[in-house]
Amino acid sequence: MKNTLRQVFHSGKFVAGFCIFAFILLMMIIYPLINPGNPLERIGVGTFAKPGTYVSLYDTVDTETETFKLADADDKRLAKILSDSDRVSMVEWLTQAEVDLTGVSMNDTEKLLDLWHANYDDSIRLKGMTKAQRNYYVRLNNSLNNASKADTLTVTDVDPDTNEVVEKTKIQKTDYVNVGDVANTKTLPLGTDNFGRDVLKELVSACGTSIMIGLIAGLVATFIGLLLGLLAGYLGGVADDIIMFITNIFTVIPSFVLLILISYSLGQDQRGATTVAIVIGLTSWVWTTRSVRSQVISLRNRDHVNLSKLSGHSLMRIIMTDILPYIASYVVMAFILQVSSGILAEAQLSLLGLGPKTTEVPTLGLMMNWAMLYSAHLNGSWWAYFPVILTIAGISFSMNLMNTGLDQVFNPTLRD
Amino acid sequence: MKGYRKYFTKKVIWFAITFVVALALNFILPRLMPADPVAAITGRLVSGSSDATAAAKVYEHYQEEFGTNKPMLEQFWIYIKNLFSGNMGTSFSQYPRSVNEIISSAIWWTICLQLPAIIVGWLIGNLLGALAAYIRKGFDKVLMPLSLFLSSIPAFGMAVILLVFFAVNLKVAPVSGAYGFDMIPNLSWKFIGSVISHYQLPFWSIVLISIGGQAVGMRSMSIYELNADYVKYARFLGIKDRKIVGYVFRNAMLPQVTGLALSIGTMIGGALVAEIIFSYPGLGSVMYSAVTAADYPLISATTLIITIMVLIVTFLLDLVYALIDPRVKAAQFD
Amino acid sequence: MSKTMLEVKGLTTKYITRFHEDVYAVDHVSLKIEEGKSLGIAGESGCGKSTLALSLMGYYFPPLHYQSGDIIIDGKNISGMKPDDVRKNVLGTEIAYIPQAAMNALNPTRKIYKFIEDVVKAHDPKQDEKTILEMAKSRFTELGLPLDSLDKHAVELSGGMKQRVVIAISTILKPKVLIADEPSSALDVTSQKMVIKMLRDMMDRGFIKSMIFITHELPLLYNVTDNIMVMYAGQIVERGSAKEMVFDPIHPYSRGLMKSILVPEEGMREHKLAAIPGTPPNLKKPPQGCRFAERCKYAVPSCRFNSLPMIEFEGERGYRCGHSVQHLREVYQHEE
Repeated sequence: MKNTLRQVFHSGKFVAGFCIFAFILLMMIIYPLINPGNPLERIGVGTFAKPGTYVSLYDTVDTETETFKLADADDKRLAKILSDSDRVSMVEWLTQAEVDLTGVSMNDTEKLLDLWHANYDDSIRLKGMTKAQRNYYVRLNNSLNNASKADTLTVTDVDPDTNEVVEKTKIQKTDYVNVGDVANTKTLPLGTDNFGRDVLKELVSACGTSIMIGLIAGLVATFIGLLLGLLAGYLGGVADDIIMFITNIFTVIPSFVLLILISYSLGQDQRGATTVAIVIGLTSWVWTTRSVRSQVISLRNRDHVNLSKLSGHSLMRIIMTDILPYIASYVVMAFILQVSSGILAEAQLSLLGLGPKTTEVPTLGLMMNWAMLYSAHLNGSWWAYFPVILTIAGISFSMNLMNTGLDQVFNPTLRD
Repeated sequence: MKGYRKYFTKKVIWFAITFVVALALNFILPRLMPADPVAAITGRLVSGSSDATAAAKVYEHYQEEFGTNKPMLEQFWIYIKNLFSGNMGTSFSQYPRSVNEIISSAIWWTICLQLPAIIVGWLIGNLLGALAAYIRKGFDKVLMPLSLFLSSIPAFGMAVILLVFFAVNLKVAPVSGAYGFDMIPNLSWKFIGSVISHYQLPFWSIVLISIGGQAVGMRSMSIYELNADYVKYARFLGIKDRKIVGYVFRNAMLPQVTGLALSIGTMIGGALVAEIIFSYPGLGSVMYSAVTAADYPLISATTLIITIMVLIVTFLLDLVYALIDPRVKAAQFD
Repeated sequence: MSKTMLEVKGLTTKYITRFHEDVYAVDHVSLKIEEGKSLGIAGESGCGKSTLALSLMGYYFPPLHYQSGDIIIDGKNISGMKPDDVRKNVLGTEIAYIPQAAMNALNPTRKIYKFIEDVVKAHDPKQDEKTILEMAKSRFTELGLPLDSLDKHAVELSGGMKQRVVIAISTILKPKVLIADEPSSALDVTSQKMVIKMLRDMMDRGFIKSMIFITHELPLLYNVTDNIMVMYAGQIVERGSAKEMVFDPIHPYSRGLMKSILVPEEGMREHKLAAIPGTPPNLKKPPQGCRFAERCKYAVPSCRFNSLPMIEFEGERGYRCGHSVQHLREVYQHEE
């Protein structure tokens, strides 16, 4: 046993897979400690907030400021306001107004603005320009003027006694606050989802639930598969015929279809994460049965098994001491595969809208489902779905690697 | 050829039994549940929908057509009879469209998308796996983990990634559907062009997914065959390496046909979900909208059709395999 | 004085393991076979006899590598030749091989006559298929094999038939030397006899000019071959005529090997079953002195340090042991 383990951990592929999986598990344990709370809590009111650090605007007003004179501050400010499409529109207007644009590059903010301020006049009517387009240029011009004009921004407040608007503070262009001094900041490494929930927190929790679903599904499938495989292989005869008949039927009928039928029939209210996991397990035992059976058949007539039979050992004892230890490696490999395919099955079911009910826990599949329902993939909110795909692929990959590693240890011909 | 006829008959009987079991499961599973799903759904429809009379009409229609108020055995009989007369009921959500109509318009999209994609993926995967086994060294070191990683990406994940990269960001492919949304199917070049451009992303996402798993399987199989005794013997008879590699890959490839037959059920599941991502108008999308709209007759029919499709493909692969691999011939035809 | 068909001088080959260690499985082996003669090589499994069979072919692929020595077939030294030359002009035509596991030696998905075609064309691409088929047919008839087996796949043949078909295929090009690596060990007694009869028959008819027969059953060789060599840990430890080796083995290992199998043959006294205790040494680090010393009950301390040359005695015989022939004979006599 010890020797086998040492051999297994000598396999580079197994160790690589094991490390990835251990990392994912570690994240699942550590992250909720750093960032506790309900993963389904809606912290955002809007949908799909970008990843990054958010600073409370309200708090910054009262935070002590420092003055920095940074040469490129104005340019940066402008560049932020002026999007690429705005630049294109500006160039279009200037061309239409027959301004000489030779030697002006689109990215040259300063020159472009100079030309704009020198030539733009909202009274000029250009040919073929709709009212909406004209309004757009007026808006653009205003925001550009605002950005370059005022050096201070006045913050006002309403005096509760007199109901008068009073000046509260003046903010200079050169005022800076230290982020550490601001009372409220929130870092959302993966932004928020369509419901305004912290994606990373949700992902960590979903990852845990999905792995649990995979484990339960794997255990159920392995248990059924092992039991049927042992019975069919060891008993042979009629028992074998019946079991293999059933197994063959369920090999051909797609398990995905059975999953859909059962999940649908259960109804949304009955589908907790555990139930879904058990249903997945119940529909995916055929492969384990097949491989266990063929292993047992090859073992059945070995000398040590015959010796046990002659010594009058009970069926249970023969199976436990003379058969199970020899097929353990196959069972473990089959179990690992079942876990990863269980996670995948949950994700596919959830995408169809047949996953666990949505109010209790997030799962990787549900997160994917929500992201797709709210078209995260079409509106550029990559953080809502890409980490989910990556996590599913990462878990499967780590398990496939471990399996390949084990396979190479136990089937020496596959070694490099 | 006498042996083959026997084998053929055996297979036909076997698949007929499987077909009956599949039918029975499709019929019984939803009815085994605590509440009659049809009643439950229509109940929900009646209470929640403003068009309560329409829902009641749907339910009545359904009850009449499928005899849901009669005993179980009789219901099954009606179900079978309806099925063989080609009647799969009326859709709840798209009333009064018949389920037949909805499915027959979707099924060809699915077949034309998935069959070529799975075959191409199988071929490329096997080729790469064989090369990895033969060349080993660097090629293998890169290809193996890559294939393993590819096969770990879920089909819908691959679909989303391709969609975002090529359709949303690069804008070289359309975002959804099987043809331009402003088109009516006809045989013009413009329409065919549109179909082809819409076909690319769903097709390649399924191909990429199947490549990984097939390559890994083929590699193991080829390595196993390369170490076989007959390789050594053929070498010592002076046969050229190129010829021997031909033997090996033929022998390794043949069991992969069975592998394909056995895994086609699993692959279809993933590929159907990929259809949803692209709003491809195949069975996957039909199933999705049926689930969303709680359209029970439609769900039941889609699952049945998918099962039948998988059964047919598996059956054909079994027959072909027995013809091309003499090892099966020897084992099965006696 | 007849012609020398195969002469091997100081052949050394090694396996290179996954961990880049060298394992010398054939260590300075020399042997000689004349036309019309056969040589038996005996030894336990793991002693290097199968590797010797592979090494004699002069065609190496990983993990087996050539180290040094010469292989001369009918006056032509093949150890310096390019691998593709060896493949085209030596394998099958000069020297041929019958593998240990004939059960799996044939490509299961290729018909026998197609495979024969591949073999012939590998050496002479211009041969047309009809001629090859005719040749195969006449050869199968001569060897008493059913002609319909030509049109079958290997999986459709029985075990004994497969072995005989393999022998027919190996000798289809009339090689000068045939190396048979335990061709009969996996078969039942009847098939075994048929295979051995077939090999002798082919020698008589001149389909092959000489033969090396490898087995772990030394007594079996008495009936089959003219001369016998015993191998241990990659080295030849004794050689002599079949009769001498069976009735008067000198090296303690040959004697143990002779005794370890009970064969009730005519002219032989009944032997007690006396397996040799222990296993062959690890060839990654071969012992410094006599390689058998660890298991030899006659070993004295000096055996473990002095490396031994092959010592010739009584004409053609040779052995590799620290004790003198006379001493060993006395000890053996005393034991009985």
